[in-house]
Amino acid sequence: MSEEIFLLPDVGEGLTEAEIVTWKVQVGDVVTLNQPLVDIETAKATVELPSPYAGTVVALHGNVGDVLEVHKPLITFDVGGAGGAPAEATSAPAPAKEASDKQEGSVGEGREAVLIGYGVANEDAVVTRKHRRQGATPAAAPVAPPVVASEPVVTSPSVAPRSTPPVRLYAKQNGVDISSLTGTGRDGLITRVDVEQAVGGAPTAPRAPRVSAPITGPNTTSRFVGRELESWASGPKEERIPVKGVLRSMAEAMVQSAFTQPRAAVWVRVDATRTMELVASLKQQPNLGDLRLSPLTIIALAVCDAARHFPGINSSFDAAANEVIVRRNVNLGIAANTPRGLIVPNIKGADQLDLVGMASALQVLVDKAREGTTTPNDMIGTTLSITNVGPFGVDAAIPILPPGTGAILAVGQIAKAPWVVDDQVVVRQVVELAMAFDHRQVDGAMASAVLSHIGRFLHDPAAAIIAG
Amino acid sequence: MATTTMTMAKALNEGLRRAMDKNPKVLLMGEDIGRLGGVFRITDGLQKDFGEDRVVDSPLAESAIVGTAVGLAIRGYRTVCEIQFDGFVYPAFDQIVSQVAKLHKRSDGAYVMAMVIRIPFQGGIGAIEHHSESPEPYFAQTAGLRVVSPSTPNDAYWMIQQSIEHDDPVIFCEPKSRYWEKGEVDLETPPAGLFDALVRREGTDVTLVGYGASMKTALRAAETAAVEGTSIEVIDARSIAPLDIEVMAKSLEKTGRVVVVQESPHTASIGSEIISELTQRCFYSLKAPGLRVSGYHVPYPPTRIEEDYRPTVDRILDAVDRVMGFES
Amino acid sequence: MIDEELVQLLTPEGERVENSEYESTLNGDEIFGFYRDMVIMRRLDNESTSLQRQGQLALWAPMQGQEAAQIGAGRALAPMDFTFPTYREHGIAWCRGVPPENMLRLFRAVSNGGWDPQKYRHSVPTVVLGSQTLHAVGYAMGIQRDGAEEAAMAFFGDGASSQGDVLEAFVWAASFNAPVVFFCQNNQWGISTPSTVQSKIPLYHRAHGFGFPGVRVDGNDVLAVYEVSKRALDSARVGGGPTLIEAYTYRIGAHTTSDDPTRYRIDAEVEVWKHRDPVERVKALLVREYKVKNADFDAVAAEADTMALKLREDVLAMSRPDPITMFDDAYAAPHPLIEEGRREMIDLGISGGQL
Repeated sequence: MSEEIFLLPDVGEGLTEAEIVTWKVQVGDVVTLNQPLVDIETAKATVELPSPYAGTVVALHGNVGDVLEVHKPLITFDVGGAGGAPAEATSAPAPAKEASDKQEGSVGEGREAVLIGYGVANEDAVVTRKHRRQGATPAAAPVAPPVVASEPVVTSPSVAPRSTPPVRLYAKQNGVDISSLTGTGRDGLITRVDVEQAVGGAPTAPRAPRVSAPITGPNTTSRFVGRELESWASGPKEERIPVKGVLRSMAEAMVQSAFTQPRAAVWVRVDATRTMELVASLKQQPNLGDLRLSPLTIIALAVCDAARHFPGINSSFDAAANEVIVRRNVNLGIAANTPRGLIVPNIKGADQLDLVGMASALQVLVDKAREGTTTPNDMIGTTLSITNVGPFGVDAAIPILPPGTGAILAVGQIAKAPWVVDDQVVVRQVVELAMAFDHRQVDGAMASAVLSHIGRFLHDPAAAIIAG
Repeated sequence: MATTTMTMAKALNEGLRRAMDKNPKVLLMGEDIGRLGGVFRITDGLQKDFGEDRVVDSPLAESAIVGTAVGLAIRGYRTVCEIQFDGFVYPAFDQIVSQVAKLHKRSDGAYVMAMVIRIPFQGGIGAIEHHSESPEPYFAQTAGLRVVSPSTPNDAYWMIQQSIEHDDPVIFCEPKSRYWEKGEVDLETPPAGLFDALVRREGTDVTLVGYGASMKTALRAAETAAVEGTSIEVIDARSIAPLDIEVMAKSLEKTGRVVVVQESPHTASIGSEIISELTQRCFYSLKAPGLRVSGYHVPYPPTRIEEDYRPTVDRILDAVDRVMGFES
Repeated sequence: MIDEELVQLLTPEGERVENSEYESTLNGDEIFGFYRDMVIMRRLDNESTSLQRQGQLALWAPMQGQEAAQIGAGRALAPMDFTFPTYREHGIAWCRGVPPENMLRLFRAVSNGGWDPQKYRHSVPTVVLGSQTLHAVGYAMGIQRDGAEEAAMAFFGDGASSQGDVLEAFVWAASFNAPVVFFCQNNQWGISTPSTVQSKIPLYHRAHGFGFPGVRVDGNDVLAVYEVSKRALDSARVGGGPTLIEAYTYRIGAHTTSDDPTRYRIDAEVEVWKHRDPVERVKALLVREYKVKNADFDAVAAEADTMALKLREDVLAMSRPDPITMFDDAYAAPHPLIEEGRREMIDLGISGGQL
């Protein structure tokens, strides 16, 4: 026995249910295709339903007067016993379709009846969510330029740096030039994290460097005397490196200094919190947006300010002429640890520069050193120097004086430390300053005065700058 | 290379002439296009040369002009219908969107609705009501149609021929305020494909997209901006549907800022579509949101004040200032 | 009421009548052929209604009662003529050779057309009333330019005759003397609107207003409809210009299967028209004049049943098309948004009929 269930169809009247008015067949009747089965009453009219099958009526799913819902069973037929079907002309067996096929074909499933057509699709009937295929890209998705993984993304002139509007704003507000960044997002996208890293970089290296070694940062690579040194395991037991180039210059300078300039040093610990705060607040200024401000800028100003107050520190001992030369012009040397080695280029006339000028000049100096474009002229005439050992993770250093200079200031790392303020122990940003000086013309008193002055400058830079 | 100077009206006339010479199945139909040569003289002289069977002075009914063109297309003819003015296309709107746009699909490809419906559109001629409309968004929205607009005589000369040769129905929007402006026409080589956008002026700061009569205003705005130090890249969309969005996207990736200029109101306009598509494709390049410089959302005003309705150089530059002013 | 000017050659009782303008040129075999056509169409119509009632069609527009109007006109057409129907001209489609299952594709909602109009020279259905009359006139203008001896025939109802497009088509046809025949089946009702609301004068009189001949024919008399149509078509083909034929008939069924005529018309009226049945009168003629036997009539009925069963099978086999087919033929030439849409549908796994 093969059964087919005739579901109450939507007859296009906008109905959701119908009332059984008259049964025209009863259980056990053998019916032919299209034979009238029942009259149903919809909201609008009485409609006669013809049989979709030839077969025997097995069950009627309602009585006269019952209200049935559309798409619910109305009549069950036995269509399988085709041999028992009467031999009328129209009694060819109903097409042998599976019930599922019929439902698919009837398109009545899941739809609310309406006046014209199959009816409104019952959207609740659709239960599964379709997901985009793996790897399929929406047709109009932003297309990224192809990126070669090992090289930094080079922005060609015809495509601006790729980022999102909110990140661009964030970059601009923090003085980061977005076009200088290497995006770490998908397909080279410049992300908020990229900008954050650029903003919160090492105090003297506010910009993410393009080459692998930071210019004044810790030497975390295997570089030594201007080259990549092979590892302990892979290199020869005894390796001989010729003394040439920058290595030779550095050695000669150090020897000369060590054997001609008696060096002494003074050092002091300073609460530099206000310097850090000043730098942070200046970075928020829209008109200083492009400037790379850092504590080094303030320190440079402090050194120059100290020289103006104590010109004697800005001096050199001319043994040949048997004279001490005091200069009232600071060419401020900044020790730079480049891939080629240690060099000390200087900012000419640094004492003339205000904060913006100093920051710009430092920027230029650092860029040139990193790019290897420092000129010989940049490296002569230094009068005072600064060496920043903080990035190396140490508190202080006793540096060797560049020959012919009067003093060199070493700056350690600026880190939080306990400090006494108004008899309370508080956490402050503390830095250790050490100044080495040529003890032929500079005595301890002057050196200490100079260092203290620098320390006070860092302790309250705003007041110092205003007073300066 | 044969080039000559002619007005856009003459360029259209020559283009129609050349198309009719090439293909005997090309017919023209419209009101007053034969003996009068058209109220804008676009079809001047064509009935004399090609005869009344090919240049048909039709009775006054736009729906019939388009509906009979459908029947002619079924029979294999390519009709260029002229709708006398933009504001009078609406009686034909049903034939256009219910029949012309859909018969290729309805017939599963058996019917080729190869026809061109020429519509003088946009304002700027000091006319009375219904003669300055911008109905192109209605047609751009309708699948099955293509919509184009030449802004120069050279484009007019070539695009009318390309439209006639194309197998899909083309709504050909002619900026009537430019009919009498002269330009160089290359008689041998088309400037581009029918559905290509063209960069009319290169720039780096802002992408300015327009079509039809607005192009001239856009180029003037770019010149003014250049003096002030802003470099605008001006793109002529030429094809309103489909949009050549790739050209616009490439420009936006360079500039990061887009302004669209159009005479139609901004609501559900071509500019809305352009900016939506570009935002999707170029989000990571954006320095500012896209802006539309449009007609206002009012019936087209009496033409004594139409110059304050239609986008001006000032309003374009104001939009340029605004996109330049966004934090990025 | 029936006008005296109605052309009639066969009474409802199946008796021939004389007409001053027309005479029947058909022989027995041809008339029997018309009978067979009408029986098959009636059977097709009934089966389609059943299918709709069984939920297998979204809709059906029945032509019951209008068999003679359509077969009479359909059989008057020459092979190269082109017909432009509405959505109820199943009898014309039959005469043009459109397979029955193709006629139902629209109503099964798997297509907005259903057949190749160029192949059958029978245009796709037009649901916006009256639009196709302009297409017919344009086509006829194309015939003129080709110098061919062919005609276009446009079908529409009494309701559509009020549409602007139809009247514009009359204007064009008259002004250009186009080889087109306008065939209006006045079945008395436009859904619930009686034809007297559509026109204050008999519909065929309108033609005179536009400047070409109009004729009213008994739409239930297949002999008369044939002769009137033939003359109009023959005339059009040789430059005689347009004719308006008003086939005066009755819509026995509802407007569509969604309509309930008991709401707006009385059963008595329907009964009156049932007595004017087009099939019965021809059967009576065939029996009386041509001595056609029961067996022959039975054979026709059996053939109709066979057709109906096959139609049912074919309809039930019409499955939901792959959704990606919605992009096919939207444009003749490649279009970027079509490619985009197809890709999206594939990416989302919609294509393949899965949902």
